[in-house]
Amino acid sequence: MNLRRFMSRSKKDADLAEEIDAHLVHEQDANTARGLSSEEARRQARLKFGNPRTTREQVWRYRSLPWIDTLWRDLRFVIRSLARTPGFTIIAIVVIAVGIGVTTAVFSVVNAVLLKPLPYPDSEALVELLNTGPRGSFPGANVPKFNIWHQQTSIFQQVAGYDQGGAGLNLTGGDHPQQVQGIHVTADYFAMFGAPVIAGRTFTAAEDSPHGGHVVVLSYGLWKSRFGGNPKIVGTTIPLDGQPYLVVGVIGRNFVTDPPGDLWLPYQFDLNSRDMAHYFTVAARLKPGITLQQANVQLKLAADQFRRTYSSATLGPDGGFGVMPLKELIVGDTRSSLLVLLGAVLLVLLIACANVANLLLARASARKRELATRAALGAGRGQIIRQLLTESLALSLTGGALGLVLGFVGVRMLLSVSANVLPRVGEHGSAVTLDPNILLFALGVSILTGILFGLVPAISASRHNLAASLNESGGRSGVAFRTGRLRGFLVVSEMALALVLVIGASLLIRTFLKLQAVDPGFDTHNLLTMTMSISGDRFQKTGGVAQVIRDGTDRLKAVPGVSNAAAGCCLPLQGGFGVPFDVVGRPKGKERSTGGAGYYSVSWSYFDTFKIPLLRGRGFTENDTGSAPGVVIINEAMAKRFWPKGDPLKDFLLTGVDMGPVFVEPPRQIIGIVGDTHDGSLSRDPRPTMYIPVAQMPDAETALNSRVAPLWWVIRTNMDPHTLVAPITAALRDASGGLPVAHIRTMDETRVRTTSRQRFNMLLLTIFGASGLLMAAIGVYGLMAYSVQQRTQELGIRMALGAQASNIRNMVIRQGMALALIGVVIGIGGAFWLTRFLASFLFGVKAWDPTAFILTPLLLSAVALIAIWIPAHRATRVDPMTALRLE
Amino acid sequence: MTKKPPVAGEILQGTLDMLILRTLRMGPAHGHTIAQVIEHTSENALEVEQGSLYPALHRLEDRGLLAAEWGVSDNNRRAKFYRLTAKGRKELVAVTSRWQQMTRAIGLILGESESENK
Repeated sequence: MNLRRFMSRSKKDADLAEEIDAHLVHEQDANTARGLSSEEARRQARLKFGNPRTTREQVWRYRSLPWIDTLWRDLRFVIRSLARTPGFTIIAIVVIAVGIGVTTAVFSVVNAVLLKPLPYPDSEALVELLNTGPRGSFPGANVPKFNIWHQQTSIFQQVAGYDQGGAGLNLTGGDHPQQVQGIHVTADYFAMFGAPVIAGRTFTAAEDSPHGGHVVVLSYGLWKSRFGGNPKIVGTTIPLDGQPYLVVGVIGRNFVTDPPGDLWLPYQFDLNSRDMAHYFTVAARLKPGITLQQANVQLKLAADQFRRTYSSATLGPDGGFGVMPLKELIVGDTRSSLLVLLGAVLLVLLIACANVANLLLARASARKRELATRAALGAGRGQIIRQLLTESLALSLTGGALGLVLGFVGVRMLLSVSANVLPRVGEHGSAVTLDPNILLFALGVSILTGILFGLVPAISASRHNLAASLNESGGRSGVAFRTGRLRGFLVVSEMALALVLVIGASLLIRTFLKLQAVDPGFDTHNLLTMTMSISGDRFQKTGGVAQVIRDGTDRLKAVPGVSNAAAGCCLPLQGGFGVPFDVVGRPKGKERSTGGAGYYSVSWSYFDTFKIPLLRGRGFTENDTGSAPGVVIINEAMAKRFWPKGDPLKDFLLTGVDMGPVFVEPPRQIIGIVGDTHDGSLSRDPRPTMYIPVAQMPDAETALNSRVAPLWWVIRTNMDPHTLVAPITAALRDASGGLPVAHIRTMDETRVRTTSRQRFNMLLLTIFGASGLLMAAIGVYGLMAYSVQQRTQELGIRMALGAQASNIRNMVIRQGMALALIGVVIGIGGAFWLTRFLASFLFGVKAWDPTAFILTPLLLSAVALIAIWIPAHRATRVDPMTALRLE
Repeated sequence: MTKKPPVAGEILQGTLDMLILRTLRMGPAHGHTIAQVIEHTSENALEVEQGSLYPALHRLEDRGLLAAEWGVSDNNRRAKFYRLTAKGRKELVAVTSRWQQMTRAIGLILGESESENK
């Protein structure tokens, strides 16, 4: 009500003015009627009424809200005063915008990844089931474990197994077959995640049992893109891998999975299976009121039950089961790196604040007389502080709004060029959205920084001695001692904070360079890789897979520009399977196997195509088929680790020990040793690895593989591989009878992806370090330039008394560098203490890396010197006569 | 400033509102008429300070006790006419009875003190 009155007061005032006029006219009429002359009548009327303005002001005041009025008045004053010094205003706003921009950028990622709940109903109750052991916990499940977990109905509402859409499926039919991501799930999956069903239904328990038939549930995306959103799709069949699948339902668009899937298929487990290999993961929804602790206690009992049911050989005495929140699993180790980035970005924000505080201090001393005049005219200290705070808040809010835009656009750009760095951010960072959290955060940070950098200058400015300031002849006395010291302190902190940032950035840069320098163990150039989904019936036996590989390799080699080609389960730098193995005849002691090693099934030309060197023995040939004697090649790391003295080339290996019937194999002879390649990550040492010819895989294992992972093709070219994509995919389609390929990329691209997380961290910290350094340099420059300007007269006198230009310059440089060096020393101390938080992100450099700790301070000092040199040089140009006449 | 001060002097703070409401009970009127009526009815004992009349009118209008409308006055001039609303009528009854209670109370006190003095 008051507000409405307030808003309409201008209109009302005009109305009142008119009303008063009317009153005067009536009074005048009355006076005329009494016989007065018209002139006198008007005079008397006005006299009687008094000043109409006073009346109007009275009504106006009564209609106004005092605080809005005051704010508006202050704001208009602030805008006028800021507009008078556009240089200052622009620099301040830009500095704040950068500070708040980078902070908002990092926060928006933290918000999307760490803060937002998973996009499922009651997602806090969703947990991942883990295998626990002395060496940590990891997800992964097999049918026996799934059975036991599924029985824990006292703690779990639903338990569902699913895979990561590994193998891919071929959606055949139509003109262009398409490889799609099919996620295998157990029947409870949809209920557990609360997936919205927009058409049809999800799988029944009967459909999720062996021989449950070919049924499929479509995702919204695939339903729209491939089937045009056909409302009658449910009940029809679609061809997958050449087989008709009955569509039973469609899931709504809001249902997001990580990684994304195009369709879902029932797992159709044989629940009597005793396979011990982990090839899917299991999540569960806790019953209402069940805590993680209660669940973990119950799962301890479940582990005992597991040992009783499936023999204790399959789960060691140290092993057990546990749960962790699903969100924690998805977020994984990005949490710590995001928190480090958030910490770093707060340092940037602090530097920005110190910088603007410094600018405001300088501005306040330049405005000393203005403020003193205002005080003399009756402005209270509170009013002056309020006005100065309004000014800094106006700056910080403007800068904050700009920063919000900058930061948001920046983070989306950054995420779009750094794929696969972070979970939960969606494709090209599309899940990083502008939500109320971020707006509130930006607003909060803006207000906080406005107060932070505004309060100290405001208090210090309002403390000046009135008489002294008014009597002072403009600009003579120089920097008041107190503000001078305060500004020096701010510059020192800026330098120190900037140094910490730049040292952090240089450590990450060195880490990245070291990673780049790691030899992956093969030639990454001119290698094209792609996946072929081999999930159809043809590929349930090894012979079918071997045939496709033979035909494909022949066709590919015939493509002009292709020099070699191979296929395998897995690629270097991407990681593969691992299994336990025994060396035949070697005593195991108490262990269940001789050891564990990577398990790569590859075609005969794999090593030649990758140019992985053969160190000893022989490589695979086309003749190492299922009918030939079993052979295996190991890598150097495996030879060194398990045959530190002996010769592996005589020994036989038994792979897949204790993993259930699928993995039972005859012993294989070690026929060769190849060079190490990095799998998974360049920062880890190559792990021991065994290579087995694809053609010699047991059928059961091939069948399992075909469900778990696609077949990778790798093609060595002697020109830019991108130019050969079309003929290569055509050759493979011909050779395989129409199978499409997907995930086409070069090995160089894969290599870039393996270090993308490090590159992302490095890029961000380098941006932070550079902006921190720039702001600190501006800070030092600003302080020295200001002090030189204030001391023009003193410098003039010194020169008049015979000081040389070099004396003057050195004096200014000495004073400026003293501040910079104090900052550098404090910064080194701070960095020693803070870089420990970076330790886990480093590779090949120590957290106290001498190079970083020596070069960075030198760099910073050099930048400071340049920033100081300019005003120092200007100081020498002071003309004594002008300076003295300046009065 | 005032040349010939009226007997009762300026209107007591707060009573102006009551007088305005009372005046308007006789029908809509514009500001000038209201001032004249108050002065004439009180036999010129009360002088409405015209500077405070309009703030009072606007306050009453904002409180919903009066409604206002532009119209044409008796001598063919534009003027803003005020009239009592239902709420204003109720308010008038309430303030009038309050006022009467108060003047009676004051009268009693003054009467007593007079008798004591004698």
